[in-house]
Amino acid sequence: MSVLRWWWGLLLAFAILALGRVFLPLPFANEIVLFSIYAMGCNFLLGRVGFISFGQPAYLAVGAYGTAFYLFYFGSNPYVGILCGIVAGIVISLAVGALFVRLRKDYFALVNLALAVIVYYLMQKVLAGITYGDNGLWFLTSIASTPVLDLSRPDQFFIFAFLVAFAIFAFYKYIDDSIFGACCLATKINEDKLTFLGYSNFSIRLVAFVIANTTTALAGAMYAVYLGFVSPEITSAARTPEPVIVTILGGVGTLYGPIVGSLVYIGMKDLISKFVGNWELIIGFGLVLIMLAGEKGIWGTIEPLLKKAFSCALRRPLPRTLGGRSDD
Amino acid sequence: MIDTQLLISGVLFGLSLGSIFFLMAVGLSLVFGLMRVISLDQLLYYSLGGYVTYSISVTTGNFWLGALGGMAAGAIAGLAAERLVYLRIYERDITFTMITSFGILIGGVGVIKYFWGLVPLPVAVPIDVQINVLGTEIPVYRLIIVGLSGLVYGGIWMFLNRTIVGKAMRAAIENVEHVEGLGINIYRLFAIAFTIAGGLSGLAGGLYAPLIMVDPQMGLDVLAFVFMIVIIGGLGSIKGTLVSSFLVGQVVSLGTLIYAPMAQMAPFAIMLLILLVKPTGLYGSPLLKR
Repeated sequence: MSVLRWWWGLLLAFAILALGRVFLPLPFANEIVLFSIYAMGCNFLLGRVGFISFGQPAYLAVGAYGTAFYLFYFGSNPYVGILCGIVAGIVISLAVGALFVRLRKDYFALVNLALAVIVYYLMQKVLAGITYGDNGLWFLTSIASTPVLDLSRPDQFFIFAFLVAFAIFAFYKYIDDSIFGACCLATKINEDKLTFLGYSNFSIRLVAFVIANTTTALAGAMYAVYLGFVSPEITSAARTPEPVIVTILGGVGTLYGPIVGSLVYIGMKDLISKFVGNWELIIGFGLVLIMLAGEKGIWGTIEPLLKKAFSCALRRPLPRTLGGRSDD
Repeated sequence: MIDTQLLISGVLFGLSLGSIFFLMAVGLSLVFGLMRVISLDQLLYYSLGGYVTYSISVTTGNFWLGALGGMAAGAIAGLAAERLVYLRIYERDITFTMITSFGILIGGVGVIKYFWGLVPLPVAVPIDVQINVLGTEIPVYRLIIVGLSGLVYGGIWMFLNRTIVGKAMRAAIENVEHVEGLGINIYRLFAIAFTIAGGLSGLAGGLYAPLIMVDPQMGLDVLAFVFMIVIIGGLGSIKGTLVSSFLVGQVVSLGTLIYAPMAQMAPFAIMLLILLVKPTGLYGSPLLKR
């Protein structure tokens, strides 16, 4: 029974998402699933560890290029390509993370933003010999069909992305319930006390940083396989706030925030760009309005209401220890 | 080795680049020091300054009037953003003010695209004269930029050390609550700081406009450098900003002479090195915590 209680929220959310697949056009559904994986890393960093990272596109690009290099130069198996992207993500985030997590929150935000722009320069100019600069790497035709789930076909790719997203979300839910998740929260709220309890702030932050950015790199790798090409544009400065916007929109630190946020953000962007060419204007000032309105986000506002309604219906309050994510 | 002529022009190029960076970064640094707000919208006032300079210098034919107009436009936009948006969110976490400022930046770029279009626009160089220094032809305009930024540094120093408002501002950088307790209206100080920062960013955009083309993304192009400067110098320190902007200017300029693609990366490497040794930048104080 308790097993079911742990899983039911996730199952329900993904059942709704799977239902969305029937009604929504396929590229849109794919985009939402990929983006919610992408935003999950940022959501974890911002909501659980208290680090705002404006440089997520840098790690997205690391994953995407890791995959792209494999698929363009070496092999053709998309699964191995995605694995390469993940490994690249782990290596890079370990290397820069050891430097970055020592910094204060404000410096951390700036350093990551600088990193995103540097990766952009690196891919556009410095490594132009391998990355073909602004033209990007095109390898859609060299992705081989795989036997069980054929990633070169968008409809089968959706199933794969859906499963991966499910696994990722279950993983993050598990982390939230574990001691490590509690430590992450503690390092956000009171680092002195955490030191007092005998934990190292540095190592907890480093592990959290690596986990979050590996997730982002995984999203990048899947983007690369899905689109079949990678260009430096994915890490350009204008795109750096996207994951943060989605995180805030959905609700910082909530588990389902990234899904809700991606759905709303991508839907908004699609709709706006259909009617108005100037989407930056609306996204920008919309963001300011959202920030002025409050900081809880869409899911952060709805969730307590749902919980209340649900517990009233059952006439039995849910145990706080498991679902205690609404109170930060 | 590099020959002397190339070296002299390289150093001068670095100095003028550093001056522009300084004008941009000093606003960011001041605003952070006083209000603990990472104001990404300074980059918008920079582009706005460039565009207003373009429009005025095309209509009136006088570049200096244009640069002055750009400065005024930046100052007004900064004041408006402070009164309309920041005033409501000072109490919030730094994360939220930073995202809000990014919203203003992106939205403002949209406004610029709406009014001036997407095509890069050229601004005529006001002074074409070149003078001869040690056998090297040097454009006077770049020297003027360096001089102007020196004046700005002197002006800011005088303002912060010799006027009562400036002294209150310095005290507020140290401790806002105490200043408020003395009966000084800190929100007026904040408005003044934002106006100064916006005006300087606008001036930077106006002065740099003849050397590049003004385009809607010009703010995002310098973003990385301005941030690296502020991080290297230490958030909230004017002196650190001065030192690090000339450092980064020289590194970019001289680095281009040695190996062009790496020049963009070198400041980043320096930043990492400095952060490794001193996580708060060169002159950043470890006490700056709210």
